Amino acid sequence: MYRIGVDIGGTFTDFALSSASGGRMAIHKRLTTPHDPSEAVLAGVAALVAESRIEIGSVTDIVHGTTLVTNAVIERRGAVTGMLVTAGFGDIMDMGPERRYDLFDLRIKYPPPLVPRRLRIEVDERVRYDGSIEQPLDEAGVIAAAKKFRELGVEAVAICFLHAYANPAPEERAAEILREAAPEITVSTSADVFPNMREFERWTTTTLNAFTQPMFDRYVKRLEDGLAGAGFGGRLYIMGSSGGTLTTDAARRYPVRALESGPAAGALMSAHHGRALKLPNLLSFDMGGTTAKGALVRGGQAIKKYAMEVARVHEFRQGSGLPIRIPVIDMIEIGAGGGSIAEVDERGLLRVGPRSAGAMPGPACYGRGGTRPTLTDANLVLGYLDADFFLGGKMKLDKAASEKAIAENVGRPLKLETLRAAWGIHDIICEDVARAFRIHATERGFDYRNSSMVAFGGSGPLHALSVARKLKIPRVVLPVGAGVMSALGLLVSPLAFEVARSRRIHVADIDAKDFATTFAALENEAAGYLKRAGVAEADIKIVCHLDMRYQGQGHEIEVTLPSTNDVAGVFADLGELYGRAYEKAYGLRLDEPTEIVNWKVEAVGPTPSIAEGRSGTAAGGADRALKGTRQAYDPVHGGLSAWPVYDRYALAPGAVVQGPALIEEHESTCVIGAGSSVTVDAHFNLIAELSA
Amino acid sequence: MNNAPFDAVSLGIMWDRLVSLTDEIVSTLVRSSFSTIVYESYDLSCVVLDADTNSIAQGTFGIPAFIGSAPVTLRHMLKKFPAETLKPGDIVVTNDPWLGTGHLFDITMMRPVFRKGRIVAYTVSITHLPDIGGNGFGSASTEVYQEGLRLPICKLYEAGRLNELIVEIIRTNVRVPEQVMGDVMANVSCNEVGGRELLAFMDEYGLEDLRALSAAIRGQSERAMRAKISEFRDGTYRNRIKVEGFGEPVEFAVRVDVKGDSVEIDFDGTSGCVRAGVNVPICYTNAMGLHAIKSLTLPSIPNNEGSVAPIKVKAPPGCILNALPPFPTGGRHAMGHFVTPTIYGALAEATPDRVQADSGMMNLITFQGRRRDDRAFSCLYFAAGGYGALENLDGWATLPHPSNMAVVPVEIWETLTNMTIESKRLLTDSGGAGRWRGGLGQEVVLRNDTGHTLTMLGMGNRMEFPARGMFGGGAGTLRVHAVDGSPVHAKGRIDVAPGQRITVTEAGGGGFGDPRQRSREAVRGDVLDGFVSAEAARAIYGAES
Repeated sequence: MYRIGVDIGGTFTDFALSSASGGRMAIHKRLTTPHDPSEAVLAGVAALVAESRIEIGSVTDIVHGTTLVTNAVIERRGAVTGMLVTAGFGDIMDMGPERRYDLFDLRIKYPPPLVPRRLRIEVDERVRYDGSIEQPLDEAGVIAAAKKFRELGVEAVAICFLHAYANPAPEERAAEILREAAPEITVSTSADVFPNMREFERWTTTTLNAFTQPMFDRYVKRLEDGLAGAGFGGRLYIMGSSGGTLTTDAARRYPVRALESGPAAGALMSAHHGRALKLPNLLSFDMGGTTAKGALVRGGQAIKKYAMEVARVHEFRQGSGLPIRIPVIDMIEIGAGGGSIAEVDERGLLRVGPRSAGAMPGPACYGRGGTRPTLTDANLVLGYLDADFFLGGKMKLDKAASEKAIAENVGRPLKLETLRAAWGIHDIICEDVARAFRIHATERGFDYRNSSMVAFGGSGPLHALSVARKLKIPRVVLPVGAGVMSALGLLVSPLAFEVARSRRIHVADIDAKDFATTFAALENEAAGYLKRAGVAEADIKIVCHLDMRYQGQGHEIEVTLPSTNDVAGVFADLGELYGRAYEKAYGLRLDEPTEIVNWKVEAVGPTPSIAEGRSGTAAGGADRALKGTRQAYDPVHGGLSAWPVYDRYALAPGAVVQGPALIEEHESTCVIGAGSSVTVDAHFNLIAELSA
Repeated sequence: MNNAPFDAVSLGIMWDRLVSLTDEIVSTLVRSSFSTIVYESYDLSCVVLDADTNSIAQGTFGIPAFIGSAPVTLRHMLKKFPAETLKPGDIVVTNDPWLGTGHLFDITMMRPVFRKGRIVAYTVSITHLPDIGGNGFGSASTEVYQEGLRLPICKLYEAGRLNELIVEIIRTNVRVPEQVMGDVMANVSCNEVGGRELLAFMDEYGLEDLRALSAAIRGQSERAMRAKISEFRDGTYRNRIKVEGFGEPVEFAVRVDVKGDSVEIDFDGTSGCVRAGVNVPICYTNAMGLHAIKSLTLPSIPNNEGSVAPIKVKAPPGCILNALPPFPTGGRHAMGHFVTPTIYGALAEATPDRVQADSGMMNLITFQGRRRDDRAFSCLYFAAGGYGALENLDGWATLPHPSNMAVVPVEIWETLTNMTIESKRLLTDSGGAGRWRGGLGQEVVLRNDTGHTLTMLGMGNRMEFPARGMFGGGAGTLRVHAVDGSPVHAKGRIDVAPGQRITVTEAGGGGFGDPRQRSREAVRGDVLDGFVSAEAARAIYGAES
């Protein structure tokens, strides 16, 4: 019995196969087919199965991560989407947050709403803040709207009513009428997609769901049919943004929950490595060609949140994207990657990124017409990359072009020698990543100094040790298969579903019975998705959280409730639980009444086991893997010196490499600075220990 | 560059670290704050200053009102408590409008940072408190004494010991003592965190003091700023605008001298103070003037003493932009926000590709009352007018400028206050016409469903004088406040009976350039989406159908 993980990225589609017994593993990589991504998926699954000499009939699960939903939003390739909205409030979508995310830049940009004003229809109805009905739904108005949507060529409709999280009935009734009057139109309702307060964010989430639903539905169907045609008789799952997998039914209903599912899987794999290595708290650091992504893992679990932005239109700036409310792995995105361009900033100092040379023209050393110096150019000049062994030697790099680009654009204007300028580019990127992690961790009360780092992606291992040093993190794990981390991560993600509902109430205003009833309803809803997918009740773990705050505060703290059947006991203990959480975050407690804002329930199935890849115990010295030496930059002495270069694939478990050293693999190079040492563990992961 | 011992790489890295340190302090403060205006609008700031009181780093997020104020406040504090008398664990505070940031609501808190027994730096935090007693946040007062508690410069902590008397004075004078003290204590802990982080930073880079680094940062900022100002066309530029006051309109007059790499802004000729809480102490005028020049030159340059050095802002003492005690200043932003567009207007010819037409600006209304469950509330309602257009950029709908807030969502507002918002709509044709159109304003209708009489404290503007266009662009529409359909003064204190409706009409932004030159496609799109009516498209934009 086998499971397959498939992750579609911009350039490559990655595959990983693991046997249920945990004994075998295989990986595969092929070019993505942008015109129809399912084509590469089907071809890759067939190839992987053939290479592994197994029958497709013995594959029980395929777990699929994809950026399809994200890309559809970025490129605005979705359905013609309409909106049915409470009368008087359709313009909320144009008004947005009524806030500038930059106070000084007069030319800031915002993404246009997914549903233009001309496709929004208002209908009379009104729910009050407490869920009571002030004005019943104008049903005739909904029928008239259905007719108008048809005339306008609308394919999907988002139904967005005020306070629907407190009473979803009017939205549900409107959906019923709409489906009857125009069965060809797909419908999303805001209370169903994510029943939280804050209309602009909830409605934006709902319109995104509607906008991507027809496309995603067709895609999943095509994939299912194709796999069935190839003889696959197991289940297909779609990776969700929150680190759990979704059944295809759930994913087709809530495509918004599949946003950013690939990067989420990478963070999940970091958590998995952490658990295997008994490193419960870590930073997951993924750096590729355009951006770097970071996530925090606490107690073996990736930290989650309920807000993200998609399709940022202004240099990755927070506030310049569409605000989405769904459960997601809490990731930071930094405009820092191999293609990041180095330039003189408006202070007259060096800046690297967020502008990127991308793949075309790419870094100057690619020889495709790029003349701007990039991070990859700097790493080549510093000797960390080998001009003859980039992507395992598949692509020759032009070092002279890198030197010229750096000298002309950075060295000369800033009066820096080329080598110093190249080091500056390298170091500033490390600093930017460290800073982003530091603020991200501080905001979450996460002590990064005592944690470890797991680094992957094409550029991650080049910078990981240096970033870790800046953060005073003592240990870095450079796992095997760093180029297919997300596909591997798909294999370790459990089936899961999470529901969250806004119901704002003072703790003093409810009793234990009301408390228990509210949670019971959410538990049934969340667990229902797993049960319908065949998970046994006994295997479902339920985790309950509350977002709470002192009365009058603007930000909530998430309180995880102890898992027990004694709900009345938990209720009695709420004040204490919140006080403790608050004290942990801010170092003090207040004598103020507390209130509950959001109620959240997560149902999680069993975590699948995964093969640990190659493993071995044959102790061997590092010498066998030594390929030679290369002139590389040593920042302590400020010049080039001969660094030993090792072949990662020839390093056996138990081998120890002392820095300075370079360890090369096909998709990346691990830079091990002086003072650090690396040990190869039993599963061929590199474990770097940093000197204090 | 001459920043020895730092080169372009090390200076950039250390500078960014210092700014990010202040950002960390800000994020701690925001998340533990009780004040809506702080957590929704970043009405706060954190600043690191060197031992010579030069500001070297300020939190990236924060409203412009706090640019340049921290060093001045610190110097006032050191006059009262000289540096050599300060002890570790001392924390000094004040909310005096003329020593701090221009109104009683902001508390400025300072903590010296000691290293090896001597002061190497100061951290300063500033936040807008939830309440300060008196008449509440509004412009209804006629003297500063009615506006609430005024704390002179005093030590909240002396060598680590809290002065309980000051706490008691604050608690006794405000409506929501728990929240106010919660925010005061959040400032205490953020300054402690800031000091600790700063010392760790100095250890990491082996810095014994911050003087050399401070000089390098300030020098680099000043050179960059001067180079950019040199791109303005030299000359003397003037502008006059009218702002409605109480009775007679207030007139702002400005003369901007651009000479080489420096700018001098002088508000000579501006009207005198008024007997309402909208007078502007010079610290605020200065901040808004610096903000205006920064946004026209180097919007992303971090704030510090160097980046503001090439800019001088002056106003004759006693005019409304250099208000003196006892004139009330609670709603100083209501007037002070006009400083920015006044300067843009003056500099239109000096830098036509960067200036912005007037914006509809933002509107803050305080509502005080009781919810249906009898719990008292005092909440700020905020709505934005349209954003002024720039060359090549239509003004955004309902986006504030120059200051900033975030809208309180309808769902949260109704839950907090039990009022009902009946509608919130964009206003067709409210944006000034232009080759680049001004941003649309909006109309919000609120109904008092609380079952109690509400008090509404307004500080609205643009009721008589609209946002003007530039280079042939049209003006935006005006702001109107009405109760049950009858217009009321937008700067008054008004009781609203249960069941009454309040209509808030937000002003549109000004247009930029001749509307007849607007692209036909853009005009058609505006008509389709209802941003511009078909009649206006024909009459003003010259559309054919």
